Amino acid sequence: MDFELTDEQELVRSTVREFAEAELAPVAGEIDRDHRFPEEVLPKMAGMNLMGMPYPEEYGGAGTDYVSYMIALEEVSRGCATTGVIMTAHTTLATFPIYKFGSQAQKDKYLSDMASGRRLGAFALTEPAAGTDAAAGTCTAIRKDNSYVLNGSKIFISNAPFAEIYIVFAKTDPDAQGTRGMSAFIVERDTPGFSVGEAEHKLGIRGSSTPPLYFTNCQVPADALLGQEGQGFKIAMQTLDGGRIGIGAQALGIAQAALDAAVAYAKERVQFGKPIASLQAIQWMIADMATSIDAARLLVYRAASNIDHGFPYSTEGAMAKLFASETATRVADRAIQIHGGYGYTESYPVERHYRDAKITELYEGTSEVQRMVIARAALR
Amino acid sequence: MKIVVAYKWTSDPEEATVGADGVVNWSRARPGISTYDPVAIEVARGLAAATSAELIGVTVGAKGVGTPLAAKAALSRGLDRAVIVEDDSLKGAGQAELAAVVAAVVRRIGDVDLVITGDSSVDVAAKMVPTVLAGELGWPAVAEVTDVTGQPGALRVGRAVPGGAQVLEISGPAVLATSADATTPHVPGMKDLLAAGKKPVEHVDLAALDVPASSAVMTITGRARPARKERKHQLLDTSDPAEAAAELVKALREVGAL
Amino acid sequence: MRCDWVHGYWVHWQWVRCEKGFGMSVNAWIVVGDQPAIGNLITVARSLGGDGTIAAVVAGPRAVAETVAASGVDRVVWCGTPDGSPAEASAPAVAEAVAADPPRVVLGGRNPGDRVLLGAAAAALHAAVLTGARSVTVGADTVTVVNAVYGDISDETVEISGPVALLLDGGSVPAASGAGVPIEEVTATPYGVKVLETIPSEFEEVDLNAAQRVIGVGRGLKAKEDLSLIEALAAALKAEIACSRPVAEGLNWMGKDRYIGSSGARISPQLYLAVGISGQLQHMVGVTGAETIVAINSDPNAAVFAQTDYGLVGDLYELVAEITSVLK
Repeated sequence: MDFELTDEQELVRSTVREFAEAELAPVAGEIDRDHRFPEEVLPKMAGMNLMGMPYPEEYGGAGTDYVSYMIALEEVSRGCATTGVIMTAHTTLATFPIYKFGSQAQKDKYLSDMASGRRLGAFALTEPAAGTDAAAGTCTAIRKDNSYVLNGSKIFISNAPFAEIYIVFAKTDPDAQGTRGMSAFIVERDTPGFSVGEAEHKLGIRGSSTPPLYFTNCQVPADALLGQEGQGFKIAMQTLDGGRIGIGAQALGIAQAALDAAVAYAKERVQFGKPIASLQAIQWMIADMATSIDAARLLVYRAASNIDHGFPYSTEGAMAKLFASETATRVADRAIQIHGGYGYTESYPVERHYRDAKITELYEGTSEVQRMVIARAALR
Repeated sequence: MKIVVAYKWTSDPEEATVGADGVVNWSRARPGISTYDPVAIEVARGLAAATSAELIGVTVGAKGVGTPLAAKAALSRGLDRAVIVEDDSLKGAGQAELAAVVAAVVRRIGDVDLVITGDSSVDVAAKMVPTVLAGELGWPAVAEVTDVTGQPGALRVGRAVPGGAQVLEISGPAVLATSADATTPHVPGMKDLLAAGKKPVEHVDLAALDVPASSAVMTITGRARPARKERKHQLLDTSDPAEAAAELVKALREVGAL
Repeated sequence: MRCDWVHGYWVHWQWVRCEKGFGMSVNAWIVVGDQPAIGNLITVARSLGGDGTIAAVVAGPRAVAETVAASGVDRVVWCGTPDGSPAEASAPAVAEAVAADPPRVVLGGRNPGDRVLLGAAAAALHAAVLTGARSVTVGADTVTVVNAVYGDISDETVEISGPVALLLDGGSVPAASGAGVPIEEVTATPYGVKVLETIPSEFEEVDLNAAQRVIGVGRGLKAKEDLSLIEALAAALKAEIACSRPVAEGLNWMGKDRYIGSSGARISPQLYLAVGISGQLQHMVGVTGAETIVAINSDPNAAVFAQTDYGLVGDLYELVAEITSVLK
C-alpha cells in the first residue's frame, strides 16, 4: 500500500494552491458578501485546464487522473468554496454524462468546449417535490415527430445563469413506475421555452448562483436525448457517484481552510499572557480537527483512486462524501470556537467556512442518502 | 539559438527559524522554484518563442535541487529541457562558486546565445550571481531587465535604471537579470504539469565540469543570531481614533521621534 | 583594524589592534559605475587600514572619474567608457584593471551597474563574494567578515583567505578632499552594448537614507489616489514616503527606490511608521535599524505588531487622518 502522491499530483497541489491563494482566496469574502458569481475567474481556470481535468486531451480535457482532479478541487475550495462547486458542477455533473453516455456526435459537439472550459455546463435533476427521491420528478419530455417537448421546472441548479449547456432529466414515459421512465437531455441555453429563474438566497456558497429552471413547451431535437430513453435515472446516479467524491473534495478544502485559519489565529491570539495555542483546550480541538481532516482526505483520495484503477467506487464515494462533509461542518464549528467572539463576525473567514461547509452535507445526496448507500452495501 | 534560464531551487527564509546560536533551521520550509525565477522563465519563453530558440533550464546546488519533482516544477513553467548539477559539496556554496558552476554548465551546453536569470534569489537576495556569471563567461551583464526583443546579435533590452529606464542594444551573448516585475508569470496549466515529466533532464556531475578554482577559501568560523533592537510592543487603544492619534503623537514626542 | 557597520552605514569605527602584521599593505579597489555615490565605500576602504592604496576604477563618464579623483582615494583609473555605452560595457576594462593589481578587497555599491562591475572584478580575481557585511577585519592572511545572511536572520562570521568582493551600500557622493589625484586612462575592448534610448522616470528620485522620518505604505492602502492621505501625513511629519515591494513593483505606485526590504532600501530613521504593512520578514529587515517603529493595521494579528514600539489596530484611513490633524 502506498500513500505517496506522485510528483504530478504534488505539483497539481502546489500549482493550484498558488493559483487559489493569488486569485480565489482574496475575492472569496467579497463574492460571498455580494452573492456574486465569480465569472472573471473561470477563463483563468480554463487557461489552467482546470475545467475538465479528468477528460482526455483529445476532448479538450487535461488528461489527469481522478486523484489529481480531486486535489485540484480541494485546493480551489480551500481558496473559495463557491468556485469549488462551480468547478465540480461543471466538470462532473454536466460534462461527465456527455463523456460517458453521449453519442460520438454529441461528444464532438459539446465535449471539447466543455472540458476546455469554453462553455459552462449545469446539471438539472432536482425538482421542488423530487430531491432525494429523484425518481419522483414530474418534468416531462414527450416525443413529437423528430423532437421532444419539455415541460416542468427544476430547482437549485448550480451555474444555471451562466451555463450554456444543461443536462436535464425528464420523464419520457410519465406512466412508467419508479425510476424507469426518466431520460436525460442536452439542452442549450437559447432554446425557446427554456428560461432561468431568480437565484435563491442561500446560507453559504453564496457566489454560486442556484436558480430554478422553467420549461414551457420547450422543444429540443430528438438527438438531444442522452443515451437511451429510460436511461436517465442510471445516468443521474452514475454521475452523482462521481460527483459525491467531488463534494467530498470540496468539503476537504473548506475544512482545511478552517483549520488553517484556526491554527494561525491560535498562534497569534494572546490570552493570559500567552498564545492560546499553548492551552491544552485549544490543542485538543486542533488535534481532533487535523485528525478528522486527514481521515477525510484518505477517504476522498481512495475513492478517486478507485476510479483511476477501474475499481467500484459508489460506496467508497458515499463514505468519502459523508465523512468529509460532516468533518467540514464540525471543523468549521471548532474553528469558530477557537476564534471566540471574533469568529462569529465577518472580520474572520471562519463564519463563511461554517456556512459554506453545511451545504456539503446536503447536495448531491444528503448525509442520509450516503448512509443509505453505505448501509445497503454493508448489509448486502 | 539557445537560451539558458538559470534558476534556483530553494526555500524562503520567511519559513525558516533561527536558533539562539544563529543556526538557521530550514526543516519547516518548503523548497520551491525561487520567487522571481518564474519571471525570468516567462521572459525567456517569450523570446524563445519569437526566435524559435531552445529554452534550457539550468540549476546547480546541493542534493534536492534535481529531484524529479523539482525538475518537473521548473520544466512545467515552459522550459524545453533542463541541465542540473546536484552535488552536496555545493551546500551553502557562496555566490561566486555557484556562478562559476553555472558558467561551466553554460560552456558545456555550448553555443548558448543568452542567459536569463531572475532578479534575486528568495534566500540570499543579493543579485550577484548573474553578474559574476557574466564575468566568468566574459559576457556583458545587464540587471533590472524589463523586456527583451530582437534576435541574437541584435537584442533590444529594456531595463530600469535609477531615475528611469533605458533601451539597450546588445550585439553578442549576454547575461540578463530580469526585474521582479518584468512580467507576471503565468501559473502552469494541468497539461503543462503532465508534459513536464516527458521533457529531457540531464544530470551533470560536478566533477565532469571545468570549473576554475577559486582563489579564495571561505570558512565559516561563527554564527550568531543578530541582536534586534528591543521594541516596546505597546498597543494603543483605538476605540476612539482621535484619542489614539493624540496619544501616539504624545508618545512619539516623548521618545524624541518627532 | 576593524569597523562596524550598522544598518547600511559604517556609523562608528573602533580601532583595535590587528593580529600580527599590523601595517601590512591592504589594497582595496572600489568599482564605480556612472554615479560617484561611493562615500560609504571610501569609509570602509579606509577603515581596513594598512599602508596599501585605495584605488578606484571608474566605468562611466569622465566627470564621475573627476569626482572620484577628488574624493581622497589614492589612485583613479578611468575606463574611458565610450559615448552611448552604459557603464556595464566597460566591465572588461574594470576587470583587467583590478586583476592587474590584485587587492585583498574589492568594494562595489548596490546600483545595478555597479553590481555588474563588481561581478566582473570578482570573476577575474576568482574572489569570494559577500553581500551582507556588517563588519570587516583584515588580518595577516585572512579577511574576516561578519556577514548577515538569509534576510538578516543570522550573522555568519566568515574567514576568507584570498580576495573578497563586498557588495555594500554605496552611500552618498563624497565631498572633495585635497587636490585630488591624476586620472589614469586605460582602454580595453568594451562589450557591444549601446544605449538606444533613455526614458526618465515618472517618479522623483529619493534618498530614503537621508530621511529622519519615513512612512512605509503597504497593500492595506486600497487605491493609488489614497496616497494623497499619506502625503498629507508625510507633510505634517516632515517624512519621506516609502513602501513595501509590491507597491513599487506590482502596483507601480512609486519608484523602485522607495521600496524597503531585503532586496530594496535599508534604512535607520528616527521614526518608521508602517501603514497597512503586514510585516513580512523581507520588508521588516529593511527597518530593523529604525529608532522607533509604529504600525497601523486593521488586522490585530498582523506580524508587523510583533516588531513595533507602538501599534494601532484599526482603519488606516481613519487613523492616518486623525494623526495628521493632531500634528497640524
